[in-house]
Amino acid sequence: MVMLSRRELLASMTAAGITGGLLPFGLQRMAFAATNDPLLIVIHLRGGCDGLNLISPSNDPTFIDARASDLRVIDQGKDAGYSLANGLDKNIDFRLHNAGGGMAELYKNGHLTFVHACGLKDATRSHFVATDMIEAGVSTQLELAHAESGWLTRGIAAAGGSGGLDAFAISGTIAGDLRGANRALAAGDINNGLGAVGGAPVSSLLWRMYGARSDALAAAGKLALELPTIVDERIARDEQGHVIPYVAENSANYDSAGGFANALKSLARLVKMDVGLKAVTLDYGNWDTHEGQPGRFRGQLEPFSNGLAAFWNDIAAYHNRVCVVAITEFGRRLRSNKSNGTDHGRAGVMMALNGTLRGGRMYGTWPGLATEQLEEGVDLAVTTDYRLVLSEVVHFVNGSKPATLFPGFQPAGHLGLWA
Amino acid sequence: MADRSASDSILFAINRLGYGPRAEDYDALRRMDVNSWLDEQLSAPAGDDDHVQERLMSCKLRIKYDDAPDKWHGLDEMRPLVTLDKPIESLWTVYDPQKQMSGPEKARARQEVIAATMLRAIYSKYQLREVMAQFWHDHFHVNAFVDDHIATALVSYDRDVIRPHCFGNFRQMLEAVASSTAMQYYLSNRSSRAGAANENYARELFELHTLGRENYLNDHYDRWREVPGALEGKPAGYIDQDVYEAARAFTGWTIEDGANIDNGRKLPMTGRFTYVENWHDGYQKRVLAHEFDPFAKPMDDGRRVLDLLAAHPATARHMSAKLCARLAGPNPPASLVARVTEAWQKTVNAPDQIARLIRLIATSPEFAESRGNKVKRPLALMANYVRIMGYEFTPTEGVFNQLAGAGQRLFGWPNPVGTPDDNNYFLGSNALRNRWNLLLGLAMNWWNTGVVDPHRALEEWGGRVGTAGETVAEWFRLFGGYANEDLISTTVLAANLLPYAQLGAGDTKGLMQASALAAMAPEFQMC
Repeated sequence: MVMLSRRELLASMTAAGITGGLLPFGLQRMAFAATNDPLLIVIHLRGGCDGLNLISPSNDPTFIDARASDLRVIDQGKDAGYSLANGLDKNIDFRLHNAGGGMAELYKNGHLTFVHACGLKDATRSHFVATDMIEAGVSTQLELAHAESGWLTRGIAAAGGSGGLDAFAISGTIAGDLRGANRALAAGDINNGLGAVGGAPVSSLLWRMYGARSDALAAAGKLALELPTIVDERIARDEQGHVIPYVAENSANYDSAGGFANALKSLARLVKMDVGLKAVTLDYGNWDTHEGQPGRFRGQLEPFSNGLAAFWNDIAAYHNRVCVVAITEFGRRLRSNKSNGTDHGRAGVMMALNGTLRGGRMYGTWPGLATEQLEEGVDLAVTTDYRLVLSEVVHFVNGSKPATLFPGFQPAGHLGLWA
Repeated sequence: MADRSASDSILFAINRLGYGPRAEDYDALRRMDVNSWLDEQLSAPAGDDDHVQERLMSCKLRIKYDDAPDKWHGLDEMRPLVTLDKPIESLWTVYDPQKQMSGPEKARARQEVIAATMLRAIYSKYQLREVMAQFWHDHFHVNAFVDDHIATALVSYDRDVIRPHCFGNFRQMLEAVASSTAMQYYLSNRSSRAGAANENYARELFELHTLGRENYLNDHYDRWREVPGALEGKPAGYIDQDVYEAARAFTGWTIEDGANIDNGRKLPMTGRFTYVENWHDGYQKRVLAHEFDPFAKPMDDGRRVLDLLAAHPATARHMSAKLCARLAGPNPPASLVARVTEAWQKTVNAPDQIARLIRLIATSPEFAESRGNKVKRPLALMANYVRIMGYEFTPTEGVFNQLAGAGQRLFGWPNPVGTPDDNNYFLGSNALRNRWNLLLGLAMNWWNTGVVDPHRALEEWGGRVGTAGETVAEWFRLFGGYANEDLISTTVLAANLLPYAQLGAGDTKGLMQASALAAMAPEFQMC
């Protein structure tokens, strides 16, 4: 794991600021007007990431009694996790899983924060209900039934759309946070470009076929002709028309990001394109560890943590105007099942990453793990509404008032991610 | 030239309940009405028809991997479909710990099922069964890309679980799914044990397979007694306590995966379903306000849960709405859903429950009125195009991937919900772009799926090759698209055809391309 120190990061930022980064061959087609717009990146840790295995209260005797050692972060020996400074309780040694080395460095550098015991107020333990609520930015079934758009969509609308490409989902489908967003594009990977179908004469035909109508299909057709092109025009190709492989900056290396690497390279390309994007969503799934959790959790976390750190090095010039927030639909049960896994629980961990926030500390309120402190006697209780975190990062989309984005949400206090 | 745009009900039925007409059955089809077509389709004999069998026998799907020293020799060959008729225990030998198998060998069974799915969609006489097999695969979804064991089990899941029950009884199907190797692996019930049961399967059984998320009442009620109707034994919905208890009921339902039972006793490694009494939590339970006495007979606890769920009115409502949305299009009218729900409840014990419901939907006025309101799923679009063009199609990995780009990775949706049944999902900008490319790639044989013969296709449909403009107009008629002079001349240009010349054998490539361009029209995307 190669990480730059904070000083090196600063040096690389200056260098990138001067040169505009590495200039791959074929860049003359790129509109290179840096917009300086902020950008919010939302990473969905789909499946329910076990927050108690990610960041454990490692010396809490109740926790130690409740879980086998391979399902918690331990505080001594060669497998000890990373002790996190500025935790939630001075008597508890909060430790990050030892596969999270990349994240530990980002935390130490002061760019990364964790909000523990965070989640939905509604007591759902359903993946799909919880996901839908979070993506709609609501907190009850009734609000969900009336929600007509994703919270990011409302943020983009409040900011005023760019008329270009407002949002991108690095996924097979538009994430629910962008539900109803007109000028949003979804693709799991842009490293092969998003070339137009069959060249200019075919595009012209498709414009005539779809442009002449006024129904939903026609609207979709027109966007399908327009939006991918905005991205594709900014992807450098060689003389044969093949996409030039992505070259990361600042020696950032995605090799250790495994199956997450292509999505992150796509993300880095999008960040550096400066096409006026306001939000990007990204999926990183398979956290639903009902069985065989120790190995699976490590296998999930390691590429995520390494990849996040590599990405952050790669986009050093953008640290102040890009914010990454990671969220999962719920945490998992305090006690494990007999498959050596954990079932669906309640509170989990959220993360935020940016160059200007007050990082290197944990936020939230630790509810404790004694039976009477648990939700319904079984799960880590939700003490921070996920919307409080989102309301503090949303200014990277539009700077609007959170109340308009989260109907019915009255923020109780203030986390102070930016003081 | 056959007038494909004719709006008879039988043509609509074959487009919505199948993958469109072929030239060779067109005349016979036009003489049938919907009821007689349904009679034929719903009485499909088990197994594949002769034509499909022939295609499956002659199909070869590439497999390729490199040498791994001391593990296996690399190879690159065109291999026939060899897994589809094998019992699960003989496929399970790829997990023999003595042997080392490459990734493509372990995933081979899945790739063959995908290939067979495409061939059946295109060539099967029993089109409705293909449409319903996909419906049930989506409903009882397993992701065969997340675990090799599921990839291997997919053969039996498709052949022994989904297809035989396509038109059958829901309760029976539910048990076939619950005891299937694919589902036991996918939702972790295989490793569930008394003491702290694994809740994965039980939760999705309630939420996805039966009652539906709209009847999950956990945020409203903390205790089972509080759920409306519970004290009369008829709870309106379920809460987490029901999930916990149901999970206990399914402990002991497992797969012969070589696991230790006790004192040196081990399960064999066959991949078959089994029940292990030692692992079952035998004590009393309460599920949906029904008391289960302690120590029931083997598997009775789990079966009783399935009985309660299959008979629950909420299941009838949830499933009827879902079935109507697939067959009668998005947002099906409440009137239709209500009639199907009622029929569902009356037929819970009928061996042909699902067939009866399909007939009810397909012969309803609401169905007839739903013409053109549904976006064809990418598999449907592909099969529809190939059936119209009538050429010999060969499944390849390239087209599997293109279908995925257009929104349908067969057997690969990333979570247990299954591929959505939602027009908007398939109309995302990049999905639509990939959809257009799917048509172009099929026409131009980008993925070695077979050479299109446009001259023959036109001839079979009674059309003729004339000037470029005339011929392009024939394609538009064939694909049901609207075409004015402007669209036709733009298509001629985009296909690199000479506008006024009489076309001949030398224009084959342009004609191939023109067929795809006509199929990209908005009208052909809908059914």
